[in-house]
Amino acid sequence: MRYLKELFSARELLSYLTMREIKGKYKRTVFGQLWSLANPLALMVIYTFIFGLIFRITPDAGDPSGLNVFALWLLCGLLPWTFVANVINAGVGSLVSNAGLIQKVSFNRIVLPLSLTAASGYNWLFEMGVLVVALSIVGGFVLPWIPLLLVIMVLLTIFAGGLALMLSVANVYFRDTQYFISLILQMWMYLSPVIYPITMVRDVSNDIGGLFGSPVTLEGLYQLNPMVHFIEVFRNLLYDNRWPDLIEWGICAGWAVVVFGLGLVVFRKNERNLAEAL
Amino acid sequence: MSDIAVRVDHVSKSFRMYHERNQTIKSAVMRGRTSVHDDFWALKDVTLDVPSGSTFGLIGSNGSGKSTLLKCLANIYYPNKGTISHFGRIAAMLEVGSGFHTELSGRENIFLNGSILGMSKKEITAKVDEIIDFSGVEQFIDQPVKNYSSGMFVRLGFAVAINVEPDILVVDEVLAVGDAEFQEKCVQKFKDFKKAGRTVILVSHDMGAIQTMCDHAAWLSHGELIETGPAKTTIKSYLDSLERPAG
Repeated sequence: MRYLKELFSARELLSYLTMREIKGKYKRTVFGQLWSLANPLALMVIYTFIFGLIFRITPDAGDPSGLNVFALWLLCGLLPWTFVANVINAGVGSLVSNAGLIQKVSFNRIVLPLSLTAASGYNWLFEMGVLVVALSIVGGFVLPWIPLLLVIMVLLTIFAGGLALMLSVANVYFRDTQYFISLILQMWMYLSPVIYPITMVRDVSNDIGGLFGSPVTLEGLYQLNPMVHFIEVFRNLLYDNRWPDLIEWGICAGWAVVVFGLGLVVFRKNERNLAEAL
Repeated sequence: MSDIAVRVDHVSKSFRMYHERNQTIKSAVMRGRTSVHDDFWALKDVTLDVPSGSTFGLIGSNGSGKSTLLKCLANIYYPNKGTISHFGRIAAMLEVGSGFHTELSGRENIFLNGSILGMSKKEITAKVDEIIDFSGVEQFIDQPVKNYSSGMFVRLGFAVAINVEPDILVVDEVLAVGDAEFQEKCVQKFKDFKKAGRTVILVSHDMGAIQTMCDHAAWLSHGELIETGPAKTTIKSYLDSLERPAG
């Protein structure tokens, strides 16, 4: 509890460091904040071409929204995913790259990974705003769902922040972490229903039945991935325009709280040794 | 306890001297261990009180543990044994301009740096003109700091740090920044500090500076406290020990 209070007292520092990231990132670029859109848009074009046109993945039309645009369906899952990937990629090096600061000044170190999380969140908010506008233009009725959308965005930010806390500490002791993580992220993306709908996994799982004669199914294992549930909620809200299952909300909130709690514990335990370990 | 600003009680601090350090998972697995190390005791059972309102100098040769003690005082390192108690708000100035972002303007960096050093937004806003004035870079304050000369950079950093106005200020050899005029300003600022009843703890190799600024001093050698007391006598015995032929 006391730690949370400490955290709260560091909020001003957190906001300044976040501003530093946001303002510093696109300084001296001609397109500025628009670069934040470039990466997801490029991925959208590539994936739509390969998986939409060539592999002919056809997700169900939005129910009840009636939307049937692969590129937009893709973005509803891709933007949350790239956000998580960005937080992890930036967060993992946040302590190592600020080694000089940590060794010279005493301050609440937790603001370093958290400020990067917040800065990525800011960019993501911008991207999601553009997506909401695009969905509205093609006829989606997204606006009433925006409050709920913000709730799930906060949950995903907490989840990603918890991962950033753990990984930033791990990277101080093992510098492999940052290279290892880019591998993991690639696998994780293909194991999440970003470029294909979860119904395809369900079909395959039903064909196979219980794995090795056990009641464990492929889909059951697949559901262990928290991103499956987050993306499900995002697609429900944005693409289908319907209320997601309460269980899905529960699973997302559970993952967010557990991962962030674990991140805090790991960080707190190692915080005092950082200046020496770096 | 109002007459004591910092109490250092039987503090010991060790560092690991690695003969082998496996910071990659591959080597950790292959060798079956992450490191082989010996402990090196940088501070051995140091006990001292810093009187409140004093200017306290830490002296000693290179590697005597001065900076380690200073970092323990500044809450950057944590001692293995013993405790350090502060009576009042503490701020450390171990490096000037820590956390400056070179693409941001001088003004933005004042807020960023002040916040890192523990000032609230309100305090910084109240002090920002004074800081800019003290740094003497008014003309360029809205320019990105990457365009600053190195002198301007450290002066701005110093101006922020000195305006944190803690009860206890911990300073590591950062006094030698800027030109003669700026140094004059710094000395004046330290005098004001003292007048306001604040405590300053500083490390320096410049015995002249210590002699003129400090009223108390502690002499460390190889991690052990040799002598502590009034600055003059401590400095004298330290200098005497240097003149004495070895052995």
